Amino acid sequence: MRPALILIGLIVVAALLGPLAIEWRYDAIDWNAVRSPPFAGDHLMGTDSVGRDLLARTLVGTRVTLGVAAAAALVSLIVGVAWGAVAGWRGGKVDEAMMRVVDALYALPFMFVVILLMVVFGRSILLVFLGIGAVEWLTMARVVRGQMLALRERPFIIAAEAAGTRPTMIVLRHMLPNLAGVAIAYLLLTIPQVVMIESFLSFLGLGVQEPMTSLGILLKDGADDMDIAPHALLLPGLVLVTILLCLTRAGEKLRDRFTL
Amino acid sequence: MLDLIRRRLLTALPTLAVVVILSFVLMRVAPGGPFDGERPLDPQTRAALMSTYGLDRPLPEQVGRYVWRLAQGDFGPSLVYRDFTVTDLIARGLPVSLTLGGLALLLALLLGLGAGLTAAAQAGGRRDHMLMLGATLLTSLPSFVVGPLLALVFGLWAGWLPVSGWGDGDPAHILLPVIALALPAAGAIAKLARAGLAEVLGQDHIRMARARGLRWSRILIVHALRPALVPVASYLGPAAAGMLTGAVVIETVFALPGLGRYFVQGALNRDYPLVLGVVTLYAALIILFNLLADLAYGWLDPRARR
Repeated sequence: MRPALILIGLIVVAALLGPLAIEWRYDAIDWNAVRSPPFAGDHLMGTDSVGRDLLARTLVGTRVTLGVAAAAALVSLIVGVAWGAVAGWRGGKVDEAMMRVVDALYALPFMFVVILLMVVFGRSILLVFLGIGAVEWLTMARVVRGQMLALRERPFIIAAEAAGTRPTMIVLRHMLPNLAGVAIAYLLLTIPQVVMIESFLSFLGLGVQEPMTSLGILLKDGADDMDIAPHALLLPGLVLVTILLCLTRAGEKLRDRFTL
Repeated sequence: MLDLIRRRLLTALPTLAVVVILSFVLMRVAPGGPFDGERPLDPQTRAALMSTYGLDRPLPEQVGRYVWRLAQGDFGPSLVYRDFTVTDLIARGLPVSLTLGGLALLLALLLGLGAGLTAAAQAGGRRDHMLMLGATLLTSLPSFVVGPLLALVFGLWAGWLPVSGWGDGDPAHILLPVIALALPAAGAIAKLARAGLAEVLGQDHIRMARARGLRWSRILIVHALRPALVPVASYLGPAAAGMLTGAVVIETVFALPGLGRYFVQGALNRDYPLVLGVVTLYAALIILFNLLADLAYGWLDPRARR
C-alpha cells in the first residue's frame, strides 16, 4: 500500500509544480514541431497534432482531472456519510425509507442524467463534479450504513448509551471516528470511478473545454490521432493507468483492513 | 419468487415515472430549442411548428400527454430526423445495442469467471498476482482507448477484421466491438469472483470436501463456485448499466447504428422526444436487469429467498 501512496504523492507534486519547470505552456503552439515524436527536438515527450507540448499538457491535464476527482469524491463523501450515518443510527422505518431511495437511485441510468444536465446547463467544471458527486455517494451511503449497524451492537456503544450520553455525542464522538477508515478507503475507491466518468464526459465533448485540458481529453485526442501519432497516447495513458491502479490498490487494502 | 417480482414491479413503475417526468422537465427548461437553426425561422412558421408538436402548451399538459402516449407504446415523433418516429429509430437501434451488449456480457462472464477461478485455485501464487493485476488494469482502461487500440492493431495493422460498421450483424464486424465492450466488465467480474472464492474456500464444507479426497477442480466448480457467485450476481445490475454507457462510446468508435449513437446525436441536437425515449428505455432495461440479478441472487443463495 505504501508504494502506491508514494507514487500518487509524486504524481500530485509533479502535476502541481511540474508546469512551472517546463518552458512550454500547455496551450502554446509550436508550428515548427507538429506531431514531433518523443525524445527528439525541443519537446521531451513530443507534441500533439497542433504542436502543443505533450509533457506540459499531461501535467496540467493531470492537475485538472485530479482536482475534479477530489472535489467530486469529497461531495460524495459528505453526502454519503451523512445519509448512511442517519439511516444506520435511526434504524427502523427511517432506515427502510432512506435505503429505498438509494435503491431507486441505483436503478437510474444516472450517467444519462448527468449528460442531460451538461447539455441543459452548459459545460462548467463545477457542474461536472457536482453531477458526478451526486452519482457517486450511493455506494458510500450503503457502506456507512452497514458499518453503523455493526457498530451499534458493540459493547462500548451500549455502555455509552447506558451512561446517558446524548445520541448526537455518541454518533460524533464514538461512531464516526470508527467509520473513518472505511470511509477513507471508499473515498480512495471513488476517485478512480470519478476519473473514468470525467474521461467519459470528455470523450463525448461534454467535459472540460479547450484549450484547458484533462487526462480524458488527452486520451480522446490521442485515440483520434492514433493511426498517425500513437506516441500522443503514451504519457497520458501511462499517468491515468498509474493513478487508477495505485488508488484502487491502496483503497482495497484499506477497505479490507477496516471493514467490520 | 412471484411475490418478489410483484414487489419489484411495484417500485419500478414509480421510478420510471420519476425518470420520465424529471428528464422531460429538464429538457424543456433548457435554453435553446430544436428549431434554433443557423437561419432564424419566420415567426409564423415557428408558431406552426410549435403547435404541430404541441410545444406551445403549458408544461404540465405536455408531460401528461407524453406519459399518456408512452403508456400506449408511442414515443412521439423525432424533431430532427423528420419522417421518423422515435419508435422507428428505437426499433432500428435496439436490436444492434442488445446484440452488442448481450454478447459482451456473455463474453465478460466467461472471461471473468475463468480468470477468477484460475486465480483463486492457486491463491497467493504468481498466476494469481498476474491475473489480478491484469483485471485491475482492464477496469482502469477507458473503453474509448481499448476500442481504437483494438481497431488499430487488429484492423489497420494486421488487417484481419473490419473496423467500422455493423455489416448486418456479420460476426467479423461484431467481434472487435464486443471484445472492447466486454474487457472492463470482465476485469471487474474476475476480481469479484476471486474475492468470493477466497472467502468460500476458507469455510468448513470445503475443508470437509478436501478431507473426503475429492479432486481440487471438482471442489472448486461444484462446491465453491455457486456460493462465490453471489457478489458477481449483485454486480449484474451495475454491469448492465456499464454496458449501456460503454455502448455509447463503442458505438461511436466503431460507427455502429445502435441506440447509444441516437442518444448522443439527440442530446447534441436537442431532439427532446428521442433523448427522452432512449433514457426511458435505458431506465427500463436497468430496472429489468436489477430484477434478473435479484432472481439470480435467490437461486444462488437459498437464504436470500423469502
